[in-house]
Amino acid sequence: MSRFVGTRWPAALLLAVVVPSLVEAKPIAFANGTTVMTEYGAGTMEEVQAFYAPYYWLSAGAGYLQLDSDERNRARDIRYLRVNYLVKRWNLDDAQANVFAWGGLGTATGNDFRGSRLDRNAGFQADYETRRVYVSFMSDLHESDRYSHRVDTLQLGVAPYAYDYEDLATWFVVQGRHYTGDLHRGMEWAALLRLFKGGAWVEAGVTTKGKPQAMMMINF
Amino acid sequence: MRIPTLFLGFSALILSSFASATTIELDVNGLVCAFCAQGIQKKLHAIPATADVVVSLEKKLVAVSLRDGQDISDDDLRHALTDAGYTVKDIRHVDESLDDVRQRLKTKTP
Repeated sequence: MSRFVGTRWPAALLLAVVVPSLVEAKPIAFANGTTVMTEYGAGTMEEVQAFYAPYYWLSAGAGYLQLDSDERNRARDIRYLRVNYLVKRWNLDDAQANVFAWGGLGTATGNDFRGSRLDRNAGFQADYETRRVYVSFMSDLHESDRYSHRVDTLQLGVAPYAYDYEDLATWFVVQGRHYTGDLHRGMEWAALLRLFKGGAWVEAGVTTKGKPQAMMMINF
Repeated sequence: MRIPTLFLGFSALILSSFASATTIELDVNGLVCAFCAQGIQKKLHAIPATADVVVSLEKKLVAVSLRDGQDISDDDLRHALTDAGYTVKDIRHVDESLDDVRQRLKTKTP
């Protein structure tokens, strides 16, 4: 197993760097922790975020989001400050479930309006995780007086083996994503391979239309 | 003559037992991912009396070894884990070194 993992880990890292992507993770990793995340979805979005969590239930930071429409030639560049809040956590015998909510403000520019606009951001995420199964739903809204874009993401993950802290964790994830505001028509489905070990997380895959998706996250 | 010898032997046994009981084990709920373990390690290492920490997701266990001559109360440990976002089910002091606990945890359950 370790030899198999050893040969795949550098390849997955390279893939994530060369083929940027997009996916979700928890907006608060742990107390006194810093999270840096970058995501990419070909043709639809790119995002970079950095958060610091003084408590396990609160984090704050900044992000940059670029939205692109694959239907109409629309583009948004959004820079925002955001606060994430853990609304509720359930610590179960062999599982954990969470509900997060967030809100923020920023500035946005676009190719179909002049100047800079005030961007309002709000969203929530609900997730349930064991060492073998992961389910999450996230809804993230960005809006201004010139646009309203909401991205809803459902993820279902299965781990082929139960990993421990010092092991490399491997997950196979199916992702369904729905965009509003003329960004993408219909559901976008993707198959992803997620790997993480210690504080590093890498995820990469493709949509059913062959578009690459990926994410990298580091917690420290 | 025999009674003082027995007394000394018994005392030495008790003292050595206390001396080796420097590892504290905690059964923790919600321990399912590497980031959980990372956060707990960071929280416990911030306590000055902590020498080292081992986390097992499989056993849902956190083990803490203490620096010589120092102690952490059960309440402080429970508070630290609660502050990290987890639920402590049980705390016990064991007569094993942290390396022994680590070895025991590496023995996978069939």
